[in-house]
Amino acid sequence: MSQRHLLALFNDFDGAAAAISELRATSIKGFDIDDLILKSPIEHPEVEAVLGDKPINVQWFTLIGACMGGLLAFFLVASAQANFFAQIKGGKPIVPLPPDFVLTYEMFILGGVFITVLGFLICAGLPAKRSPLYSSKVSEDQIGILVKGDESALTTLKTIFTKHRALEIQEEAGR
Amino acid sequence: MEKDIREDIAWAQINKDVLKSLENPRKLYWIILFIAIAMVGVAVGCEVYQYQTGMGVANKNNSHVWGLYIATFIFWIGMSHSGTLLSAILHLMHADWRKPIYRFAEAMTTFSLMTAGLFVLVHLGRLWQVYYVMPYPSERWVWPNFQSPLVWDMFAIATYLSSSVIFLYVGMIPDLAICRDNIHSGWRKKLYTVMSLGWEGTDRQWRNFRITYLTVACFLIPLAVSVHSIVASDFAMSNMPGWHVTSFPPYFVAGALYSGCAAIITLFVILRYTFKFEEYMTLSIMRKLVRLTFAIAMVWTYLNMIEFASVWYGHDQTAKDQLIFKATGPYAPFFWAMIFFGSILPLMLAFKRFQTHLPILFVVSILLNVGMWLERWMIIAPSFAHGHYPWTWDHDQWPSFVQWGIVFGSFGWFTLLFMVFCKVFPSVSMYEVKEMVYHRTLALKGKSAAKGGH
Amino acid sequence: MSIVNLLGNWSDFRQQHPSDEHKHLEYKWAMSIDLDACTGCNACSVACYAENNLPVVGKEKFSHGHSHHWMRIERYWDNDGREFADQGAQFLPMLCQQCESAPCETVCPVGATNHTADGLNSQNYHRCVGSRYCNANCPYKVRYFNWYDYPTTENVWPEPMRQQLNPDATVRGKGVMEKCTFCLQRLRAAQSTARTEGRSVRDGEVQTACQQVCPTGAITFGNLVDPEAKVGKQWMQQQVELNKDKQVKDTAEHASKLRGYRVLEELRTYPSVMYLEQLRESAI
Repeated sequence: MSQRHLLALFNDFDGAAAAISELRATSIKGFDIDDLILKSPIEHPEVEAVLGDKPINVQWFTLIGACMGGLLAFFLVASAQANFFAQIKGGKPIVPLPPDFVLTYEMFILGGVFITVLGFLICAGLPAKRSPLYSSKVSEDQIGILVKGDESALTTLKTIFTKHRALEIQEEAGR
Repeated sequence: MEKDIREDIAWAQINKDVLKSLENPRKLYWIILFIAIAMVGVAVGCEVYQYQTGMGVANKNNSHVWGLYIATFIFWIGMSHSGTLLSAILHLMHADWRKPIYRFAEAMTTFSLMTAGLFVLVHLGRLWQVYYVMPYPSERWVWPNFQSPLVWDMFAIATYLSSSVIFLYVGMIPDLAICRDNIHSGWRKKLYTVMSLGWEGTDRQWRNFRITYLTVACFLIPLAVSVHSIVASDFAMSNMPGWHVTSFPPYFVAGALYSGCAAIITLFVILRYTFKFEEYMTLSIMRKLVRLTFAIAMVWTYLNMIEFASVWYGHDQTAKDQLIFKATGPYAPFFWAMIFFGSILPLMLAFKRFQTHLPILFVVSILLNVGMWLERWMIIAPSFAHGHYPWTWDHDQWPSFVQWGIVFGSFGWFTLLFMVFCKVFPSVSMYEVKEMVYHRTLALKGKSAAKGGH
Repeated sequence: MSIVNLLGNWSDFRQQHPSDEHKHLEYKWAMSIDLDACTGCNACSVACYAENNLPVVGKEKFSHGHSHHWMRIERYWDNDGREFADQGAQFLPMLCQQCESAPCETVCPVGATNHTADGLNSQNYHRCVGSRYCNANCPYKVRYFNWYDYPTTENVWPEPMRQQLNPDATVRGKGVMEKCTFCLQRLRAAQSTARTEGRSVRDGEVQTACQQVCPTGAITFGNLVDPEAKVGKQWMQQQVELNKDKQVKDTAEHASKLRGYRVLEELRTYPSVMYLEQLRESAI
């Protein structure tokens, strides 16, 4: 049975949230609630509850990036000083800790920022291929729900969306 | 109480208004752009002449080895700090009013850092060897001197510039998607398509976006503070009287935020007019911004007095002589102008009637920045004219037209970058203004529901 | 291996300088200048121009402060209660103090200036990028910047004058910092001759150009490690110690009448040049 996409557009978060709760409550054959994607023009921490628990892993990238950045900086800088003809400058020790701390600190932040953003791209799956159904209304003022289901489930899904006053329902053309 | 933004603006209207700024600004925009290009031309001419002939044409000499270049370098680095203040610190503090104005402040950060970077290059005697400062593995195992505050500068500025470009870009991805959806032809369509990375506002994207934005904001705050502390270390770590001051790092950071806030006021007025952003850059937001500037101005004044007091009551006679020299010597007019523009003029901002008077604010904010520029010059130049060693007590050193020309042109360079940015990218964050409107609607609903209950 | 090197020598790498534990082994070049003998004749300065290929920049550039006198004679007037201020004229030959703990070294971004094993403050022209931070941080302001490209400027060394350039020293292009080297080219020649002969440099075997031409013999130069060297004897006699930022003789209750002092010693630069104070009329 081939799977097809369906995109429903809602006027506000209330309608979309209600539709999602209902989808979650009713078990529809040939449709998995995890295949549901909510699209919105703004952040929506308040509505996140209906989507269920989804893990965020960016912070682990941050931790690793920051630690690696700091360690790398200290060892790079200190080993460079220890090998640069072991040259005395201004009577200070050859491996002076206060300046090395400054550089370690900067690289700690640099590593943190870079790897966090790398983690963001990986975790958010960017750059992404455009999904099969998209409406530019989503970037304007409407909330979209993109679902994927067997053809048999589509009618039920549509009914639920219409019940919650979906403004528009787009359907992927059948193959 | 006036509102920061009307909560009945339709979201579609926000898109329309901001996207319009990419299309047809007022004629003033093109005039500004033209003037900026002409100013850059002056600086390029001066730099080519200096590069060909030698640093001597800048009229520095063997005790006055640093001049306007370094002063203006600090000025531009300082200016960049307020973008971070608005976008990161106020983000963490959930100050909603930052949302319509943080994007251009963040752009200001990036471009003033780029301008500052140029001054490092212009200042160097052997510009063509600038890569010696970077730590790269070479077959002779020669590394830069990691003890030097200038190398810290290099690290700090590279970190700050790349991090703030990333921060600016990440925060702009949702808006770039809006541009992609609404602009249908031309090179810009391609640019937005590539840069928006296929953003569609899915829940997965937003979820990770939120945590990333927060994390980078958390990193940027200590970074911004450390960057200007390091720039302050260029002076505080040296042994020149007038530079060797422990309180320099916080003093520099306060001065940086101060001049940056003043610059944001200036740009606020210009953008509001040229791009017709009256609905978003409201007077109420301006009032908050002005109050913030006033508070920082007073912090700066306080730290300035601390510096004078610690020199005056300290036992370092040379530093004390240096302070007296600044206040009474040939640099006295500039010194007192700095005190006037930096500490006395901002008292005006305490009065309500001036807080939203745009023409006055425009002029005052520029004068505040003149004061802050003078501050940097007054840190650099007098120390060379009255240092430890009496033989160098020579006050007859006036920057040549080459120095002035490059300083002048840097303002054009900054304006050019900034104005091009505002035309190509949305300078008001659309998605965050929508959030702001949304939260206000929710709050309003909650209030009326509570009322209805009684 | 760098990290192995780093971990293995950690305590050595954390050693401060100057310290009594880590003395100079073979050479420590130092100078003393007797201001009572100095007549302010400027011969030292001229000799330095000739020896080190210093560009003569001309009147106009001189007036802009672009001159390169590595050795400069400073004039000070003491006009308290005198009929003519010139009567109280005093001279101070000022050159790079070759500090043991030099403020210029720490701030150079590219490590172009370093402390050498024989106690000099070296300047690497090829490495210098011209940030001029060293000059800003030098309390004596004895570093000179090449504001123009003097070797190609026509009136600096006009044609026959090129023949008098010292082949042992370089000429510097635009944009680099330079300063007194204690006539490094002479030191290195003497040191390698001595090494070939399996001995160390004898006192008086090498002279700096300024010392060589000084008509009154005000300048003494030599190796401070060598117990026979005249310069070391002078330092000892004046009770000036290299590794102290405050001399014992000055802290004593009745400060001694010894003339030796180092300039701006309290900045903890540990200079290698000792000056002998001029005898004042009041002191006689």
